[in-house]
Amino acid sequence: MELSKIVDPTLLTISAEHVAALRPYLAMFGGALIGIVFACFSLTNRKWLMAGLSIITCLVTGYYSVINMGMAKQVLFSGMMVSDGYSHFFNVLFAFIAALTIFSSFRYLDRENLHYPEYYILLLFSALGMMLLTSALDLIVLFIALEIMSLSVYVLVGFRRADRRSNEASMKYFILGAAASAILLYGSALLYGATGSLNIADIMKMATNTDHGIPMIYTIGSWLVAVGFLFKVASVPFHTWMPDVYEGAPTPITGFMTTGVKAASFATFIRILMSTGFGSEAAGLAGTQVETILWVIAVLTMFIGNVIALTQTQLKRMLAYSSIAHTGYLIVGLLAAPHTDLGYAPVVLYLVTYSIMNLGAFAILTILSGKSDTRLNLSDLSGLSQKHPWIAFALAVFFFSMAGIPPTAGFAAKYYLLYSAVQAKFIWLVVLAVLCSAISVYYYLRVLVQMYMRDPVGSENEGMTPAWSAFVVAMTVALTLQVGLLPSKMVDLSKRVVETLKQ
Amino acid sequence: MDWFDTHFLTCLTFAPLLIALIGAILPRKVIKYWSFFGTLAIFALSLRLLGIYDPSGPEFQLSESAEWIQGLGIQYLVGIDGISLWLILLTTFLMPIVVLSSFSAVEEREKEYYTLLVALQTGMIGAFVALDTFLFYTFWEAMLIPMYFLIGIWGGKDRIYAATKFFLYTMVGSLLMLVAIFYLASQHQVQFGHYSTSILDLYKVVLPGNGYFSAQGILFLAFALAFAIKVPLFPVHTWLPDAHVQAPTAGSVILAGVLLKMGGYGFIRFAFPLFPQAVAQYQWVFMLLGTIAIVYGAWVAMVQPDIKKLVAYSSVSHMGYVVIGLFAMNEIGATGAVYQMLNHGIATPALFLMIGMIYERRHTRDIKEFGGITKVMPLFAVFFMIATLASVALPGTNGFVGEFLILLGSWKTDPVMTIFAATGVIFGAVYMLWMFQRVMFGPIKKSENEKLTDLTFREALVLAPLMIAIFGMGVLPNIFLTKMQPSVAKFLERSTPKTVVGLNVEKR
Repeated sequence: MELSKIVDPTLLTISAEHVAALRPYLAMFGGALIGIVFACFSLTNRKWLMAGLSIITCLVTGYYSVINMGMAKQVLFSGMMVSDGYSHFFNVLFAFIAALTIFSSFRYLDRENLHYPEYYILLLFSALGMMLLTSALDLIVLFIALEIMSLSVYVLVGFRRADRRSNEASMKYFILGAAASAILLYGSALLYGATGSLNIADIMKMATNTDHGIPMIYTIGSWLVAVGFLFKVASVPFHTWMPDVYEGAPTPITGFMTTGVKAASFATFIRILMSTGFGSEAAGLAGTQVETILWVIAVLTMFIGNVIALTQTQLKRMLAYSSIAHTGYLIVGLLAAPHTDLGYAPVVLYLVTYSIMNLGAFAILTILSGKSDTRLNLSDLSGLSQKHPWIAFALAVFFFSMAGIPPTAGFAAKYYLLYSAVQAKFIWLVVLAVLCSAISVYYYLRVLVQMYMRDPVGSENEGMTPAWSAFVVAMTVALTLQVGLLPSKMVDLSKRVVETLKQ
Repeated sequence: MDWFDTHFLTCLTFAPLLIALIGAILPRKVIKYWSFFGTLAIFALSLRLLGIYDPSGPEFQLSESAEWIQGLGIQYLVGIDGISLWLILLTTFLMPIVVLSSFSAVEEREKEYYTLLVALQTGMIGAFVALDTFLFYTFWEAMLIPMYFLIGIWGGKDRIYAATKFFLYTMVGSLLMLVAIFYLASQHQVQFGHYSTSILDLYKVVLPGNGYFSAQGILFLAFALAFAIKVPLFPVHTWLPDAHVQAPTAGSVILAGVLLKMGGYGFIRFAFPLFPQAVAQYQWVFMLLGTIAIVYGAWVAMVQPDIKKLVAYSSVSHMGYVVIGLFAMNEIGATGAVYQMLNHGIATPALFLMIGMIYERRHTRDIKEFGGITKVMPLFAVFFMIATLASVALPGTNGFVGEFLILLGSWKTDPVMTIFAATGVIFGAVYMLWMFQRVMFGPIKKSENEKLTDLTFREALVLAPLMIAIFGMGVLPNIFLTKMQPSVAKFLERSTPKTVVGLNVEKR
């Protein structure tokens, strides 16, 4: 047999348009590689160089992604990856998250004596993993991207090498994460066995075309894949790893995880649901009562996340449980999406606003965390409004936003999300969601009580807020209020972005 | 001037926020003066409404609209009618008084205090002018934030408990209302094909209304819960005594003067016209609850040892009249209810202010600690007497007009309830006058009371406008009623159940 019959020659060439579509990924990858080269030499002022390089990398990635957002949809590498408005929108988000994480990490690493170049390199690689994850159309690519993202984050979680809690968190995350990856991989294998394809769209087509119903292997396989993702987004009952990991990880990395990892997993989940026709008549996953099960998962996630958060006195743990609760709201959005003409746009908007406010909140926790993250108990915030009025104000904005109180971005996003759910006739689910969010108000208020209504404790001067972190906080506060007051642009953008998924 | 007149409501709504923000960057020493003159200027500005509002027209006036979130049909839509006109004026009238009364009461963290207090006014005016449910909800909730801090930071001993309770109660009610708003808006989209959250559009949505748990019934309950909590109506009133007692004087005044009116206003603007059939069905329930609130509030007030708590429970009783007046569903009752809201917004703040003044002198509010105050503080006693009489609805004061109209109106609808409700007038006289007697008359039992000083000039200045309003509204009610009546008639017209034949509303 001739070689040209086995290998399609077009696979070996790459057109100019494809290169253009790949620019964001290449920029991120290139930045990370240059970082590795820099890391090999012991240069003076290496930390400035590394931080600068990483930020420039994120900016370039973001710049190319914004340009590519307007480009037509292109399927790359014979259907393994796709470049569309949706993937590039999330590329911008990941570049943004990575950049802000670097900004808020800079002084933190100084204070903890952790200024190693690996930190930046791992962060960039993890962002690259997220970018690839949301553009994957093939289960193998998806798995590789997931691993690029996760492996980098495992290491980052354990980055405070001398700290036992950090090591424990990293270990726990690694073992459980590896198990989840294995489940995902096993599910992929079963799907391949059932349909003979690894392409998401093809799998769905073949599953619905079979004359003798949907095979059992297919059902099991799709559930195993779903479990892999439910683990990553920490929905109940796959949430138990999260509080420990969040608590042990260096604070900026916790912020990176709650926003980046979660957004990437959800964005991919949406793509999978969309291409498998979730909720529609021809749904490949239909017949597995996926809707009912997700309904139960959504309620449990919201309820358990919020109720356990009530009892937390450690801020990072509290935010971890609140993050679980927010996962629940997002699942409500996923359920509603196929039944309304708003589609997945509310979920996308919610992911963006959640990322903004959470990055801001964790940037503040990073400022306040003290040596080895020991000053993050609720009582440590006592009287903060008198010591650092602006920081207290910013944190109040973020907590009001997470509680969904106008005029903040959190309210606009929650309104949009729950409105779509009512439109989809999930009225009881929405009633439960708002009652859960009423529970959440209590623990968010507890933080405000500490900051504003208690007297300051301790007289030690925490010193100036580092300008790097102040930048992040100012930017996220401005965005939280801007999206809260004038959400129109973001609403339109999220709609347009989701439109590109359909074509 | 043209631009100014067409955007008058927007200017009026956001002027306080601007003043608060400028105040935040001014030096600490001048902030209270800045806030006082700022709110006074806003009051002067708001008086212009009387000139440009056309009292003959029942429709919303001075409307402005702009696209806000196009994708969801959400508009920035504001406008007023004869009901919100007076509530806005009440708000702007009370603000300078509240600010002036805080001059001596608040000494720590002044900057935050005045910023929050003045910014709160934007939320209150905004809620009264909003004609879009999303906009209304935004103001309604945003109002909670400054109030929460006012109670929680500058309140009494159990301030954190009271502030949290206040916030959570309101939040739970409003969230269920939010779900109802979602449902209404999505029904509008189903029936009319485009998104909108403007109440003028939502009024047109047709929903099945037969039975207590029909679509209208359930949605009505969701709205009514939010507003009943704010009113506060028995049995969801329990946050009020805590919030009132713990709040600083200014907080109590705003709470009693304006925030409770939001509940009544919400019924008028939203719950009634949106769900007319449900209102007709639930009429007896709310008449009953309103009557219970009147009698129960009065009884509980009678046994309170703390003056402030007594006045707080009297609020429960007085706001019960508003509820039965509204649910009487006739013009006299509804007019009386609106008038009673204004009266309560004048008399109760006056009482709270005076309780605050005496608290500043004696640091107690226990009735037992007083007695014979008339002898040492004669001017104070006169003012206190006037406010007390207004509160017990003596003819000639404003309270009489409102309660009389309400009972007249509810008699037409439900004479039995009205008889019970009318006993509230008697009990009201009992607890108020008994309290007055114990505090003001008799010998001076405590030696600390002998040294009490009478009102200062500033304090008299705080109270004088309220005293004038009490008599003005009592003697010349027609000034107010004529501007109100066309709008009240329109409100009742909107709230009358429309019989629709062949209704086919999508069901799941």
